[in-house]
Amino acid sequence: MRSISILAGLAVALVLPVWAQGLPRDAAVNAAAPNKTLEPRVVTNSGRLEWLPHAHNLTPWPTLSHEDRRPAPKPRKARLAGPLDGDAGRGRDIAVRPDKGYCIVCHQIPGEEWPGTVGLDLRGFKQRQYADAAVYQQIFDARVNNAQTVMPPFGTNNILSEQEIRDLVVFLQSLE
Amino acid sequence: MKRIALLLWLSLVLPLAAASDAHREYDAMETYEPHVRGDQSLSGSYKHWAHPGKLDWRLAGNPEENWKLNWKFMDPPFNASVHGGHFALDRGEQLFRELNAKARFARCLGAGKAGLKGLRARYPQYRADLKRIAGLEEVIEYCAAREGRVLQNGSYDNSAVSLYVASQSNGMPMRVDVGKGVMRDAFERGRKLFHTRAGKLHLACSSCHTHKVGLQLRGSVITTPYGDAVHYPVYRTRYFLQSLHLRFAECNLDTRTQPLVPGSRAYTDLEVFMTALSNGYPVTVPSERD
Repeated sequence: MRSISILAGLAVALVLPVWAQGLPRDAAVNAAAPNKTLEPRVVTNSGRLEWLPHAHNLTPWPTLSHEDRRPAPKPRKARLAGPLDGDAGRGRDIAVRPDKGYCIVCHQIPGEEWPGTVGLDLRGFKQRQYADAAVYQQIFDARVNNAQTVMPPFGTNNILSEQEIRDLVVFLQSLE
Repeated sequence: MKRIALLLWLSLVLPLAAASDAHREYDAMETYEPHVRGDQSLSGSYKHWAHPGKLDWRLAGNPEENWKLNWKFMDPPFNASVHGGHFALDRGEQLFRELNAKARFARCLGAGKAGLKGLRARYPQYRADLKRIAGLEEVIEYCAAREGRVLQNGSYDNSAVSLYVASQSNGMPMRVDVGKGVMRDAFERGRKLFHTRAGKLHLACSSCHTHKVGLQLRGSVITTPYGDAVHYPVYRTRYFLQSLHLRFAECNLDTRTQPLVPGSRAYTDLEVFMTALSNGYPVTVPSERD
């Protein structure tokens, strides 16, 4: 009896590390593929659902699965060290590109059509006279200022690099 | 020996305890009425789309205001155009007749004396044979397998059969009872999931669809979660035929969140939640959306 419980304990202890850190079993993934994440493709007049490799690996972040025991990254304070050293032109590019910051989904930016209205209107941003460090923090992880914010934590979740956030700060501070 | 067993046991339990306390974040947990009229206190757009036969065509033609119709102007009877959903419906009827050749398939789906009439309006439901709550598409996959056919949940043919079954309830109000027991538990889990932040962008469904309804995300206006489940499976002009669970997967991908497979427990709980928010609104297929 005792040896059975030891064996069972050992078996579970060996399996656990994979399971506790791992993806839930109901995630749509191909663990052997470079990007892991799959997306569904509906094939007309077929009883089978096709799964294709998705352009991005989304597996590092927590899902909606009940089995997912992985934590979400906690709010992080950012420290802006040294001179800003950003580029406003690159910043604008990052602000409009869907694969980068894509700020225009929620914000209005001068010269861009179809602005979002969820976030702050960024026209005339310079006149607000925010400190560079405060703007950097807001983009890096806005949860530090407001736990219920819908603004993604671009720095904490590695959506943008530090340099890209610096470029955005320079771009925003240039908006007359 | 005993000590080793204890240590092993602890090595199992401690990480588990830590794991169940894993840091997750949630939007403010709102309450919802399991009836479509609950939208009156959420977006207030309900008055514009409460009666599918009496939509204001002036709102429909105005891109600034058409969101107030909750996109119902793309549903019959307002939308009389022929689209891919009609072809899927024909295919679904043909498949259904083949599957039901021995009259077992309809019974397996839960059809009683009234046949398929009203069946769609009662899904998702608890299935004693599956020992869990299941959406109509999951049950179609299960019952088709018993007839020796593969109709994977989310596949075109599965959704086509679902569309045909739903068409037999067209105009009948959705009525999924989430007032007690396992269905109430599923509704509550679905509500919690709706407010759970997930993915790379750290968003919950409710981040936009509860707290930002009526605001713009680029060219789109955010709509209410009420009254949305009744037109599924839907013909997407850019995506072919789409079941509700595949729509959830698309929502996840749009917000850079790892999607789950159709029929997963989480998606089924979300389906229970979303369908209950359509209670009282007529089943409307075939519908199309952009």
